[in-house]
Amino acid sequence: AGEDKITVRWGLNQSLPAGTDSAYKTIKVQLCYAPISQVDRAWRKTEDHLSKDKTCQFKIVKRPYTTGNQTLEWTIERDVPTATYFIRAYALDANDHEVAYGQNTDVKKTTNLFEIQAISGRHVSLDIASVCFSVFSIVSLMGFFFVEKRKGRKAQQ
Amino acid sequence: MEISSTITETEPQKFALPVDSEHKATEFHLFSAAAPHMRAFHLSWISFFSCFVSTFAAPPLLPIIRDNLNLTATDIGNAGVASVSGAVFARIAMGTACDLFGPRLASASLILLTAPAVYFTSIASSPISFLLVRFFTGFSLATFVSAQFWMSSMFSGPVVGTANGVAAGWGNLGGGATQLIMPLVFSLIRDIGAVKFTAWRIAFFIPALFQTLSAFAILIFGQDLPDGNYQRLQNSGTKQKDKFSRVFYHGITNYRGWILALTYGYCFGVELTVDNIIAEYFYDRFNLKLHTAGIIAASFGLANLVSRPAGGVLSDMMAKRFGMRGRLWALWAVQTLGGVFCIILGQVGSLTASIVVMIVFSVFVQAACGLTFGVVPFVSRRSLGVISGMTGGGGNVGAVLTQLIFFKGSKYSKETGITLMGIMIVCCTLPIFLIYFPQWGGMFCGPSLEKIATEEDYYLSEWSSKEQGKGLHQASLKFADNSRSERGRRVHSQTLSSNATPSANV
Repeated sequence: AGEDKITVRWGLNQSLPAGTDSAYKTIKVQLCYAPISQVDRAWRKTEDHLSKDKTCQFKIVKRPYTTGNQTLEWTIERDVPTATYFIRAYALDANDHEVAYGQNTDVKKTTNLFEIQAISGRHVSLDIASVCFSVFSIVSLMGFFFVEKRKGRKAQQ
Repeated sequence: MEISSTITETEPQKFALPVDSEHKATEFHLFSAAAPHMRAFHLSWISFFSCFVSTFAAPPLLPIIRDNLNLTATDIGNAGVASVSGAVFARIAMGTACDLFGPRLASASLILLTAPAVYFTSIASSPISFLLVRFFTGFSLATFVSAQFWMSSMFSGPVVGTANGVAAGWGNLGGGATQLIMPLVFSLIRDIGAVKFTAWRIAFFIPALFQTLSAFAILIFGQDLPDGNYQRLQNSGTKQKDKFSRVFYHGITNYRGWILALTYGYCFGVELTVDNIIAEYFYDRFNLKLHTAGIIAASFGLANLVSRPAGGVLSDMMAKRFGMRGRLWALWAVQTLGGVFCIILGQVGSLTASIVVMIVFSVFVQAACGLTFGVVPFVSRRSLGVISGMTGGGGNVGAVLTQLIFFKGSKYSKETGITLMGIMIVCCTLPIFLIYFPQWGGMFCGPSLEKIATEEDYYLSEWSSKEQGKGLHQASLKFADNSRSERGRRVHSQTLSSNATPSANV
């Protein structure tokens, strides 16, 4: 994530009758979670009702539909988590409703999947800051104890 | 060796508030920060608030964290249980530490020792490290015990319920406030330019720093008792250093501590459980946006601003007229009603009704928490810390148990789980019937008519005759005298003149 690129190619299936794509106005290409990355994660669940479906959470591109094949080179964004993915393209009509789709995997979503590795989000400066502040907390506690003991001993003398 | 010459004097010049013979304040002035009483109150609730913010800082940011650390729902659930289970034993240990070392050192130590866990949350990189930081951060919830102990040491019977209720309520507020604070801090940091997966990490420094600073404030500005700190008082001989084994023994052998531990598990434990599951419940059942569900979840915790203090105030009001029996009746009634509204919450199907019932439920459940700590200060004087720790620990046990029985996996739908939890609340509140103080009575029985039933007898029974011979019981003696207000109005005025020689009260 953040560094590598994915090249996506899409186009209307030529074996379909002409005019099938008359309603297509926009193409939306999305990055979607493969079933293995959905296990035990209800926030990525696939639902038939598209407005509740959470399979595809990342938009790669949304552009007007044109006939012929299209290509895009997409740099994976830095907030994409570590998971197994496939790519799906939705064709939207003038009302922004999904009327057709295609994906780079089979119906069962088992073939042609790929993995993306997320950034950790960690930085050396953060690591150092965490350790320093933690050590400071403990040391200051010991410091307080030391001062208290000394005050106590002085009061007794 | 100081001779206590202050038994009959009230020394109004020495303290900003009126005090009793133990120099505990008999009034509670919320908007004052006068040392030592009100200052202790403010230090107490603010530090406890910061620990709650830290412990529940992760849940509102989970949508980001779960993607960054590749967590499953099971990982998240386990971390949630871990976050409240650490405090079970930490609270009991804290209670003992307060009895032995004083609340100031005990709480500041715990807060500074758990702050690293919050700092290290920023560098967590796996489900296991996430679980570990939540587990150790959760230990800080033991500051609840030191806060209650501190309030019980600074405030006298007539206002101890109120002081305990406000301190704990405003501390618990942290659990609700954090649901609003953390997303805000996260957005700010992300808008400055950090990536999502880095922004949440930086955000955790805020609760961590807050926690560290509140511990410093306690150490610099706080003191254990109205007369000073444990160490100085022990050195000058005014306060005797007690033995751990005796303190612990008298705490765990007092059956009332165990009953309150159980019942607290079904008001506070329920509150913690709901903190963990309610956002998801509203999100799933009513298809709300996560943001909206989060606000509703926050409002459950934010009700603590008034409801828990109200419980404490109610406890004190009942005690004024009906004594300890009034406190017990109010506790049973309010907590049972909390259970009833919980049952209803699981049954209602509309969003508006659910929100209304949830708010009513939260008021009763949190007030019950406040009422519980109107009773706890009187269960033991010598082992106040252990009893507070047992009760507090019992609260967390209730949270762990309830989450495991009703909200783990898919055995019950969330709404069924909520209804069943309500039934369990009602059942586990019944043991309050069994609490009995010989000198004050219980819910169904009046005080014992035998000659031995006085406050002195009850509190001095915690000291052996050898220990009494050494004069170790003086503080308990003063407390016994001050606790006579728990007899309520009618009986109190009759016994005012005859407190030296116990006479049979018919």
